Amino acid sequence: MKKFILLFLLLSFFGINAQPNCEAFKMRGEMLKYESCKKAMETKGHYQFSKEYQVKLDEAIEIDPTYDYPYWAKSIAYLKSGDFITWKKLIDKAVKYNPEDRLGYRGWCRYQFFRDYKGAIEDIEELDRLVDYDIGQSQNGMYHLNIAKGLCYKAIGERDKAIDIIEKQIKLNEEEDFIGAYDYVHLGVLYLETGEIEKAIEVFEKQSGYNDLAENQYYLALSQQKLGKTAESRISLENARKLYLKGRKMFDPYNHPMDKIYLEDIDREIEQLTLRVDKN
Amino acid sequence: MRRSFSIIILLCLIIWSCKEGTGREEEYLRWVGDIEQNDEIDEPDFKICNGDEKILQYFNFGEGPVYSGEKSKIIDLFESKYQPVTGKNENGLIRIRFVVNCEGEAGRYRVLQSDENYLKKEFDKKIVSQLLKITSEIEKWKVLKRDEFPINYYMYLIFKIKDGKIIEILP
Repeated sequence: MKKFILLFLLLSFFGINAQPNCEAFKMRGEMLKYESCKKAMETKGHYQFSKEYQVKLDEAIEIDPTYDYPYWAKSIAYLKSGDFITWKKLIDKAVKYNPEDRLGYRGWCRYQFFRDYKGAIEDIEELDRLVDYDIGQSQNGMYHLNIAKGLCYKAIGERDKAIDIIEKQIKLNEEEDFIGAYDYVHLGVLYLETGEIEKAIEVFEKQSGYNDLAENQYYLALSQQKLGKTAESRISLENARKLYLKGRKMFDPYNHPMDKIYLEDIDREIEQLTLRVDKN
Repeated sequence: MRRSFSIIILLCLIIWSCKEGTGREEEYLRWVGDIEQNDEIDEPDFKICNGDEKILQYFNFGEGPVYSGEKSKIIDLFESKYQPVTGKNENGLIRIRFVVNCEGEAGRYRVLQSDENYLKKEFDKKIVSQLLKITSEIEKWKVLKRDEFPINYYMYLIFKIKDGKIIEILP
């Protein structure tokens, strides 16, 4: 199972950047797309943000303005620099010309970069209606898109729906032995927030055996406190602190993941727990 | 004197942000999103170490979004200083992007504003000026290094605004 965690982490760092097969267009007789694709491939070796990269893609778009790839590739630098206006114009074009391949990506980015929860839900659900196969993973490989959708429902206050979606997806992930690196933490937090403490502890313990994180131990500690298990809670908080200092915490190279905690959250909780124990 | 200068700069930045185009409408610079020094609006004392061509992006260092201290300090800062501005249609995204130099000082602030549908809009100036002022008053950003050498980098804050209130700060 560890190999899957490694795969997730690698994908999250480098991103999935599938190159198109230009020859496929030629085989199908789509010569404008073929030429556009070949031009777009001239970006190889240039940084996504660079003038050279962007100009090549502009030329590709001029050859075939209905080819989605150059719009998508151009949009990445705008996304990463936080230029939501230009990014959205470009990615909308990519979606327009190839919704099947680009809707999931746009939905994920709306969540990951701009916390546009409703927009992300719309895109992921539209993709689900459009295709009859599994809608797949987020661009960074960290989540199945249904897990991301569940997190968006949580963010707009629909926790029961979020739990339902995430439970179902985790069950499928377990069947395929392909659990997302943070799946159990998110589900556990949802259980904790909705008062299902025993269930929360159960999934936090699953996460511990799979990919333990500071966040996992922190939320486990909060759950244990709800059950009055003060001694266990203290141990979990100490574990959370150690893991945090070792760098075993939730991470995204571009943004702070949902349910991420900070060292001061752990320290504050330890302090409050100590005060409560001293009082009693 | 410095305070008056800062206020003038903030006003200029707000006006400038309304004029600023994005992406394809402009000629490309070295990299997407590069911010050139503009003597009309930028602090003259703000210095880039080793030239503009050496400015990276915050995520090029593989550390994720970086703050001096943790992000919670930024959140607390805006929660304590920002006064919500009520008004119709004060919803959407505001990005303040800037350069952090090798000493952890920030400058060259630029503002981008959109509604909830990613379409360009202008928020109430009282919202933008507060966000700019609070951001520019953050004295130190994290110094990021590559091969032991401190490097300049671009950083940004995106504010999700609903009914004139900050509901999230990204990244």
